[in-house]
Amino acid sequence: MRRWGLILLILLVTLGVHAASQSSAQTIMDTPLNNAPYSDAGTIVTLPASTSITILSRQGGWYHVRLDSGQDGWLRMTSIRLNSSSTSGSTWGLGWVFQLFESGRSGATGTTATTGVRGLNTGNIANAKPDAQAVNRLRAWTATPEEARAFAQQLGLKAQPIPYLPEMRGNQP
Amino acid sequence: MSVRAKLNVVAHPLALVLLLALTACVANPAGGGIDMGALFNTLKTVKQAVRPADLQEEEQIGYATAATLLGAARPINNPAIQRYVNRVGLWVALQSGRPDLPWHFAVVNSNSIDAFAVPGGYVFITRGLLLHMRSEAELAGALGHEISHVVLKQQLKALQHAAQLDLLGQAVQYELQQQNRSTELFNRVTNATRVLYSRGLDKQDEFAADRMGVVLAARAGYDPYGLVAVLQTLESMDPKSGSMQLLLATHPAPAARIALLSVEMHAGHMNRYGHQAEGRRRYLQMMKQLVQSPGT
Repeated sequence: MRRWGLILLILLVTLGVHAASQSSAQTIMDTPLNNAPYSDAGTIVTLPASTSITILSRQGGWYHVRLDSGQDGWLRMTSIRLNSSSTSGSTWGLGWVFQLFESGRSGATGTTATTGVRGLNTGNIANAKPDAQAVNRLRAWTATPEEARAFAQQLGLKAQPIPYLPEMRGNQP
Repeated sequence: MSVRAKLNVVAHPLALVLLLALTACVANPAGGGIDMGALFNTLKTVKQAVRPADLQEEEQIGYATAATLLGAARPINNPAIQRYVNRVGLWVALQSGRPDLPWHFAVVNSNSIDAFAVPGGYVFITRGLLLHMRSEAELAGALGHEISHVVLKQQLKALQHAAQLDLLGQAVQYELQQQNRSTELFNRVTNATRVLYSRGLDKQDEFAADRMGVVLAARAGYDPYGLVAVLQTLESMDPKSGSMQLLLATHPAPAARIALLSVEMHAGHMNRYGHQAEGRRRYLQMMKQLVQSPGT
């Protein structure tokens, strides 16, 4: 039984990962729907707060979204809130994979078991027994700077100097 | 100040400067007072002599803290994923103010959503958090946040204070000098770790790590909004879920972090780097591998 569950899981993951790029969300304020991911791009329409949208992709601080009417456009990232992954079965992230994984392991019937066996809570930390051997074993996986650079190059990443951000302590909510 | 420097007169930086300055005077054959060049070199020597003691103390604290946290959640047995996270993590850490630390990254066996920074260069992330992210840029942002905690020495200072390391006895000073593991220090730090990591840092420390973390990711060539995306995912999750309990007990609310970070990123013109790499394909390939071999 468990083996079939695992095979099904692998199949779903293999088929599903490419489709797993959409998620539902809502606007949290009146916000312009732009025709490009820039603040000085043209406004298609101004959306009121609590407008339902589907996220198609993200580019920097902007989401490419589609309205229920089928109209698409760009919204500033911070003008929306993602719908709860537990209630909507969001596929934007990999949370759905994780939930399948959890329910598969615990033998539950589709209902999620996120409070399951391998949870980590304040009690686990407060009563932790040290495991020094586990620290020693970490060395086997450590990267050298050369490996890290080569791995970054595979993705075309280039290091560049960028100054740290100004602290905005006063504006904090 | 290091434990070692406090009680050992010879190792006290000021004592050493005076001692060596005297030597410099004596060694100056012209007898015309202090040889400034020699004094400058002496100061450099002192700086080098003192710094390793601090680092050594941080290493010992980090070892005990790492052991305690790994006692609560063990590293997963999946070498491919562990090496992946180490490569991404080190690449981001190389852009920080402490590129030369012995950085160790590890995915730990928990489906809760969390990550931990430990003095000395250890960073742990749960499998649950990995599986809730969508791209390498998000991973780089989350690791950048943890790396920043280490760079800013926030846990280090809190642990040193809580474990009252300045009151350690002579025997421990001696053990530290001999580069031995100190059982006394280990036990004190273990106790302090249990308290600190179940209560969390000061809110301002978390905001500071967000602020620095996005810059480290951008310096490494990633889209810096990855961390904001992670925080939006956290915001969307059920706060009553068991998998969120530790994170929410030890961090400011995700919405507050997003609000402050977005203002700071705007002021710092981070939109210039919004087109940088997301690394979505490579990340999803690794996550497929993780689901097939969760490494429990």
